Amino acid sequence: MNLIEVRNINKYFDQPTRMQVLTDVSLDIEKGHFVSITGKSGSGKSTLLYLLSTMDTAFEGSIRINGEEMQGKRNRWLADFRNHHIGFVFQFHYLLPEFSVLRNVMLPALKLARYSPAEIEQRAMDILKLLGVDGQATKRASLLSGGQQQRVAIARALINEPLIIMGDEPTGNLDSQNAAIVFDLFRQLSSERGQTILTVTHDDDFARRSDKVIHLVDGRIAG
Amino acid sequence: MKIFTNIKLAATIAFTHMRARLKQTVIATAGVTFGITVFIFMVSFIQGSNDFVQAVAFEQSPHLRLYNEIQTASSNILDRAEPDAINAVSHVKPKDILLSLKDGPQIVQELQKDPRVAAISGSVSSQVFYRLGSSSINGTINGIRFEQENALFNLQAKLVEGSFKELSTLPNSIVTGVGLARRLNVKTGDRLEVTTEKGNNFSVKVVGIFKTGLTDIDKQQSYASLNTVQRFLEVPASYITDIKIKLHDMELAPAMSGELQAKYHFHGSDWKQDNSALLEGDALRKMIVYGVAVTILLVAGFGIFNILTMMIYEKMKDIAILKAMGFSDTDIRWVFLIQALIIGLTGALMGLVFGFLATYGISKMPYKSDVMITLDHLPVSFSPVYYVTGFTFGILTTTLAGYLPSRKAARVDPITILRG
Repeated sequence: MNLIEVRNINKYFDQPTRMQVLTDVSLDIEKGHFVSITGKSGSGKSTLLYLLSTMDTAFEGSIRINGEEMQGKRNRWLADFRNHHIGFVFQFHYLLPEFSVLRNVMLPALKLARYSPAEIEQRAMDILKLLGVDGQATKRASLLSGGQQQRVAIARALINEPLIIMGDEPTGNLDSQNAAIVFDLFRQLSSERGQTILTVTHDDDFARRSDKVIHLVDGRIAG
Repeated sequence: MKIFTNIKLAATIAFTHMRARLKQTVIATAGVTFGITVFIFMVSFIQGSNDFVQAVAFEQSPHLRLYNEIQTASSNILDRAEPDAINAVSHVKPKDILLSLKDGPQIVQELQKDPRVAAISGSVSSQVFYRLGSSSINGTINGIRFEQENALFNLQAKLVEGSFKELSTLPNSIVTGVGLARRLNVKTGDRLEVTTEKGNNFSVKVVGIFKTGLTDIDKQQSYASLNTVQRFLEVPASYITDIKIKLHDMELAPAMSGELQAKYHFHGSDWKQDNSALLEGDALRKMIVYGVAVTILLVAGFGIFNILTMMIYEKMKDIAILKAMGFSDTDIRWVFLIQALIIGLTGALMGLVFGFLATYGISKMPYKSDVMITLDHLPVSFSPVYYVTGFTFGILTTTLAGYLPSRKAARVDPITILRG
């Protein structure tokens, strides 16, 4: 079953001059797969990821996620969709520095409001425990090490049990040991929990060990 | 319900942001507090002195007054005799009219039954000279019925020494203004001479001294009984020159003045006409206060605007991350709008409290003035209207100051920030 169906996407940048970043990109991503998007810098791999993330709405073509068309939807609907179905992990962890670790993880769930705050706190603790950072729960996010922050960011991405976790070079800013831990976590989530994962990376090792690699060359899918 | 939880969540984020920037938040709040405090303080003080000046002036001026005035005849006798001819009469002299109000006492009795009238007094007033030794001072003498006049002007409260009671029992007795008494160097019990326009001299006894607080009145006016003044002027007992009326609702005065003028063919004026300069001054002073207050609040508003704008630049990454998590543009707008609202609300409430304390403080401050002699403390108004206005002003300015940056925050494009 295809979780993501992309058909004939064209994407242009208007600044500084109009140029085409993605040309006629079509792809399918199956549920439960661990997929990497690779390519040189400027190949359009991040652009593709952000189109799939529903945050970038200026494109031609069709993106369907879980059967829903993303083209032409309003901001509030898309925000709600992200909240329900997409978890993000970024290169520079991007935790909210004034909030505690626990609070950072809870925020997307509080926004979703599917469970009561007490239940959300319990679930957040469970996920932090699963990722081995439950000891840091009450600390302020800015006080954690890089590897710990990235694990908290993954916990935050998982809290709403999303259809997809999207990563923009999630190991790009980590030392090899922490990178290995994060990669193993992704691998484990994919194989044990059937979690669909889509990451942009230029770590060849990372890409080689994923289920599927989408390689972009000059805005087109190669091979 | 979903909206409510969204706003609640936005509020908790807003609170976290503000706690992290406690110093800036406190300074912004202090700005609003200061603005509202100054507004409340100034408006209360100015309104208080306006009220005081008005009270002094209005106590001496009736709501409505009927009188006769010397004036030029509107048509001359030649026109009436030869209506078809072209007549030229140069230098028409003013008509010699009696200043008395025709059927005055009857009209007073009639108007007393009018339900709008609270008090009415018919009196005679005339120019006289007060003489003592070689000095002679020009002034006015009012012939009054004390009970009637007292109901209008509360004369009893203005008595400094002596009594009004003797006016009706002792012939040729007067109560003089405090300034007049000082100029003539007389006190209760002393005698002085009064010369009327016709040249008649009367010896009178001072039985009391009053003080209204209005220098013009105090230094040239005196009261005597109606009969006494009528006798001085050699006129019959039906002769009165002024009818002064106090109404239950003073706002009716201008309309009623027109009505009575048409009915009785007298001249009339009301308190609004008599005190038009005073009322205009009030309006101007209030405009100045509002101008100053709005300026201060605008400055405070710019402070909030600045702090929020800077915060939004600092928080670009956080905004992007919240959007990626699934917070909508509206949610983000609330996060920053709520911060402005909290600053505005706290600042405004504190401003009201400090404003009240400041006005209360000066209302207890002793104050002596030679001009406003009945004043012993600074006059202050505690009207709740100004507190409501100040609060509304404060909330409006801060909301506006917060709205613009929060709209900017809502428009932040997450991709440009997340891609770095």
